[in-house]
Order: sequence, then structure tokens, then C-alpha cells
Amino acid sequence: MTQHSQRSGINRRQLIKGLGAASLLPLVGGVTPFAIGGQHAGKVVVVGGGFGGATAAKYLKRANPAIEVILVEPAETFYTCPFSNLHLGGLRSMDEIAHGYDELQDRYGVRVIHARAEDVDAAAHKVTLSTGSELDYDRLLLSPGIDIRWNALEGYDEAAAEKAPHAWKAGSQTEKLRAQLEAMEDGGTFVMVAPENPFRCPPGPYERASLVANYLAQYKPKSKVLILDAKDNFSKQGLFMEGWEQLYGDRIEWVGLSNDGRVTRVDAERLEVETEFGTVHKADVLNVIPPQKAGWIAERAGVTDDSGWVPVKPETFESQQVEDIYVIGDATVAAPMPKSGFCANAQAKVVAAAIAASLESRPAPEAYWTNTCYSLVGPEYGISVAGVYRVVDGAIAEVEGSGGVSPTGAPSATRALEAQYAVGWYNAICQDTWGTQT
Amino acid sequence: MHPFRQSRHDASRRRLLRGLTLACAGLGLAGLAMPGFANEPWQRLEAAQSVLGESTPSTEGLTLDLPHVSEDGSAVPLTVSFDGELAEGDYIERIDLFANGNPYPEVATFRLTQLSAKPEISTRVRLNETQQVIAIATSHQGERFATSREVRITVSGCLMRNGNDANDALSNPRVSVPSGLSAGEPAEVRTLINHPMETGLREGDDGETLPRHIVERFSVSIDGDVVFEADLHQAVSANPYLRFFLTPVESGEAEFTWQDDTGETARHVAELELS
Ligand SMILES: Cc1cc2nc3c(=O)[nH]c(=O)nc-3n(C[C@H](O)[C@H](O)[C@H](O)COP(=O)(O)OP(=O)(O)OC[C@H]3O[C@@H](n4cnc5c(N)ncnc54)[C@H](O)[C@@H]3O)c2cc1C
Repeated sequence: MTQHSQRSGINRRQLIKGLGAASLLPLVGGVTPFAIGGQHAGKVVVVGGGFGGATAAKYLKRANPAIEVILVEPAETFYTCPFSNLHLGGLRSMDEIAHGYDELQDRYGVRVIHARAEDVDAAAHKVTLSTGSELDYDRLLLSPGIDIRWNALEGYDEAAAEKAPHAWKAGSQTEKLRAQLEAMEDGGTFVMVAPENPFRCPPGPYERASLVANYLAQYKPKSKVLILDAKDNFSKQGLFMEGWEQLYGDRIEWVGLSNDGRVTRVDAERLEVETEFGTVHKADVLNVIPPQKAGWIAERAGVTDDSGWVPVKPETFESQQVEDIYVIGDATVAAPMPKSGFCANAQAKVVAAAIAASLESRPAPEAYWTNTCYSLVGPEYGISVAGVYRVVDGAIAEVEGSGGVSPTGAPSATRALEAQYAVGWYNAICQDTWGTQT
Repeated sequence: MHPFRQSRHDASRRRLLRGLTLACAGLGLAGLAMPGFANEPWQRLEAAQSVLGESTPSTEGLTLDLPHVSEDGSAVPLTVSFDGELAEGDYIERIDLFANGNPYPEVATFRLTQLSAKPEISTRVRLNETQQVIAIATSHQGERFATSREVRITVSGCLMRNGNDANDALSNPRVSVPSGLSAGEPAEVRTLINHPMETGLREGDDGETLPRHIVERFSVSIDGDVVFEADLHQAVSANPYLRFFLTPVESGEAEFTWQDDTGETARHVAELELS
């Protein structure tokens, strides 16, 4: 509660500054403009229409339709990273991972502006858009996802990503990598460079390797997948390796950190990579999943720390550094919650409730979150990891005994069922986030 | 409450207390343990105190670089470096690392010489919980420096770990030395060897405690003279990795040796060719 009175104090001061001394009068009675007629329930600008932002915009409106919600997202069509590995493997078209914003506007009354947020003036509570216009806000919510740390890996810059796609944001990068894979001669090697933690979607690289291997097994049976990893352990490792052996024999080779798997230089022109101890690997298709950071606008807003990610207050996901700015999704430091679409969606619901509460000067409801990451080792071979999280001693913690992973050595019927669940999950979360199913 | 403001307040309070600590030491009152008095982490750790002895280290110049939050406590990347001021001709001769929340706080001790005197060393360490990592540097003339850094350990929900196929102990020694060295210029050297670094604290599948089995000592000599040494403890991650600098003054043969606690050794030889 103290939090809130301080806040409106600041807002009021700014307002006074803006209006000049002559305009002081309307405030004297203690009636803020927000309260007049009870109409202005507050204005929230949401930046990013991905898993976090689109969900939050909708749930803010559901929490209180009187809140003015503006969603800023440059793309008119959003391609999901989840299931983009199916596109790479030739199992889904791009249309089948595409979503739009009509339902958010038409059904929930979210104002959607297709533009990029270019700058944030936190003191003035204003966002500048690529169109040149400015939006003021009472609360700002950022869900900008990730950006690539260009050149953090020597030789990997924007030009290199044209030759050696990351495909770690879905869209044209995904299509490029798919086209390269289709064009590859039989007998070629698909080399994937996997990053160290933390990065978007911990099991993502290994699901990708699986579905590429599945495609190669059918269409280019003499070809191989080589994963060069900057880590010694990866998500669901035992389950992936069990599945690889069953489905693909030795088609997938994984080289971890301790066996000189860390790539330190990329030569995209020659499709070569060099490891820490000087081994040069030649690729026919090169997929570099590079080091990442919070989406660039988070830096502009002053909410990132020296790790490049955004520390947040766990109860509300408000920035630890800047008041009235909330951040969710991949951009945040929310470990042990992984950077997943599932988590971004779950965080969005909590942040919507927290913002709605703070606009009404109510305390935020107690938060907890769930996550399930499904991965497809093959089209009919699914595995998963799940967890429930809540705040313990001021930090996010996994509720003991809550989660778990798929069993090892399970019969193929179990794997097939989990593959179906994965599709069910995808349909459900897209329905929840954008209101559209493919 | 605002954690941000709170933490700034805390920081300034810590600075104030640090000032007080120094003042007390000057008055010979340091031994008066005051309850609730925010001592520096190295003052609360016996192992660190035994390196520091009576001296009060400077807190300027020594830097520990570790992630604030790590999702894998079995291999947390760490870099310790020194860019503070030293008297003419003096150099950092020893760096000790500690982790105050591990069952054994000792992590590693590095001994440097004038031929390895760019004080910047990276390795990977095990941290079994959220804790302070401490570094203490000692110069040839006995100047001491200390620093610490808190690391929060969480295991990410998508990062459930399963065991790796273990390589044989002391297999695949790897060394990377740059080509085109010039005399007196620090050259970055990286080394890696496969070894389980079994802590002696872990149970095997049969429920029996697996015996301790670690690389205890790593050393580099150039034409027979030891130029860099490291004593490693259980807190160094499996497959110990070390990155450090050599500053050769003439061409020669560098020998890298790893020795584990069974007495077994592995060697790697590299020619250092100066241009
Ligand atoms: C190959 C792959 C597979 C994956 N599979 C799964 C899976 O199976 N399950 C799962 O749960 N997760 C999966 N993920 C992870 C998931 O994609 C992310 O965790 C999720 O997208 C994070 O949501 P977000 O809202 O943080 O970011 P995003 O969904 O990326 O949304 C960010 C949005 O912000 C917009 N934006 C950025 N900057 C600005 C700006 N300045 N102005 C306006 N808009 C801006 C972007 O255009 C984008 O639309 C996968 C990821 C990859 C790469």
C-alpha cells in the first residue's frame, strides 16, 4: 500500500509539472483525473505481441475492461517459435504456425498498433514509436522476447545470419534454414551450434536436431546432424539421447563442452566453425544458435542489468530498476522458470492481475506459475518436463515435488500419446494467447 | 517496499560498515567480534583468514566475474582478474578462490610467476547453493587484495540433468596456445582435460559413497622452469578447464602436467615460438 501512495505521488508531481502551477486547482480536492466519473481506470501500453504480450493484453482487458490497453507490435502476422521446428522438419507449413491480432482487437477491445517501440522515457511515462508518435502510459509492460548478441560469438553478425541462419526467431529465418536443408545434397552434414545458458527454450536445439534428423532419415539418408554445444548438460538430455538412439541410430552426434564442443569462431562464408581448442568443422548447412539478451527495447527502458537480462520483482514482475515498468517472458531473469512460451503466457496472467490491482490501489494477488515444455523427438515421439513455481523468500522457486520429466524407457505408446499432447498444448496456448487456432 | 531502493541503501550501509571495520582494525579492535556486524565474507571464513593472516586486504583492483544467477551449479564459469596498482616490479604471485557455502570452501590456489604475470584466470566451478565466492590475491611483495561476489544457483525447470557418459580420468588433455607470440606479450592459454573430479561426497547407483578422485595439481613449465601452477579442490568442475596467460621471453618448450590424487599424471607439450 505504501507502494501505491508513493506512486500516485509521483504521478501527481509529474502532472503538476506538466500542467504548470495554474492548473493546480483541480487537484486540490484530492480528486485525481483518474477518479472522475470512475471512467479512467488507467492506461497500459504493452510492447510485443508474442506469447507474453498478447496474453497480457487480453487478460488486462478481462481483468477490467475499463483499462485502456494498447498493444504495440510491428508484425501483423506472428509466427510462433513453438512448432517452427516442425516446419524445419517438413511437417508443418508456415501458415500453420501463423497468428494474427484480430480477436484481441475485435473481441477484447485491445488497441493494436503495428509499429516498433523505439524509446522509453520512464520519467515522463512515454513510449516513442517508429511512426514518430508518442504514447503515454500509467503502466508499461514489455514482453519483447530476445535479441541476438551480435559478434558475441566471433564472426557471427547480421550478415553471417543470412548465410548461417539462427532461426531462433520464427519467420524468414526459419524459411531460410528450411530452404537450405531442402537444397542440401544427400551425404551432407547439418551442423548446429548450441549456446550456453541462459537462452530461449532450453530443449529447443535438441528438438530441432531431432526433427532435422527425422527429415534426413527419410529424404537424405546418407546425411548427418552434428551438434557442437557450449554446455555439458542440456534439458531432458537422457530422454533425448534415448530417443535419438531408438529413432535415428548414430545419425545425430552431440559434442559437449568437455569434449571441445564450444564454438569460438564462425566463418559463415565458408560454412566453417572453429572450437575452443582449434578443431574446424565444415558444414553443408550451418545453424548457429548464438548468445542472446533481452529484446533491445528493454535496454532503452533502463530495465536490464549487466547480464543483458531484466531483473524483476518476483511477486509482480515489475522491474527492479524502474517503477511502473513491468517485464515478462524471455527477457526476464525468472530462473528457475525457463524461457518458454508456456512461462511467458503464465507470467502474462500474473502480471495482468498485478497491474490491474495496482491501478486500483489493491495489493497484487499471490502469484504462482506452471510450465510444461513438450519436445518432439519424432513426429510420434513426445517427451516433456513440467514444474510449478511460486515465490519463496523473495525469489521464484520450484514447488518441491511438483514437476518431473517423462519416464525413461517408456513404451512407444506413451511417447505417441505425449506427441499428441504436444499438439493439444500448442492449439490451446495459441487459442489462449491470440484467440486463433491453425 | 522497493527492493531497488532497499538494496542501494544496503550497499551504502555496507560501505559505511566497511569503513568502520577498517577504523576498528586500525585501533586494534578487529578481534572484538560484534554480533550483527557486517564483516566482509573473507573475514568470516577461516580458510580465507589463513591466507590473509593478520593483514587487511585492499578491496580495490581485484575482480571476480561470475553470473549473478546460474542455472547449472555444476559448472559456473568464473574469471578472476587484477588491474589494481602495484609498486614498480611487483606482481601478483598467488590467487586463492573460496566458496563459502560449499562443504569444502577451498576452490583453487593459483601460483603465478613473472612469466605468467598477467593476472587473469578463468575456470568453471561447482556451487552447491546460493553463496559468496571469494578471491584473495597476494603480490610478490606481500600486498593483499580481496573481493567477493554473490551467485544465486537455481536449476531451470527445462534443465533437468541426466548423467553424462564419463570419459576416462586424465584422458584427452587439450591445450590451446596462440601462434605468433612476441616476447613479453601476454598470450592467452586454454587447457581442458577429461576427469570426473569426483567430490567424495556423492553416492553412486548402489548407494555407496563414491571415493574422492580429483585432479589436485596442474602445472606449466617452460624449458623445465615452473611458470604457472594450480592446486585444485573438489569445487572445480568435472573436466577441469583453465584459461590463463603466459608471458614467455624467448622460444621454448612448454610442458603442461595434470596430476590426480591417485598419483597418475597426464602431459602435453607445446612449442612456444616467438617471432
Ligand atoms: C525453436 C524454438 C522452439 C520453441 N518451442 C517452444 C515450445 O515448444 N514450448 C514453449 O513453451 N516455448 C517454446 N519456445 C520458446 C518461446 O518461443 C518463447 O519462450 C516465447 O516466444 C517467449 O515469449 P515472449 O513474449 O517473451 O517473446 P516473443 O514471443 O518472441 O514475443 C516478442 C514480441 O515482441 C516484439 N517486439 C520486440 N521488440 C519490440 C519493440 N521494440 N517494439 C514492438 N514490439 C517488439 C516482437 O516482434 C515479438 O513479436 C521455442 C523457441 C524456439 C526458438
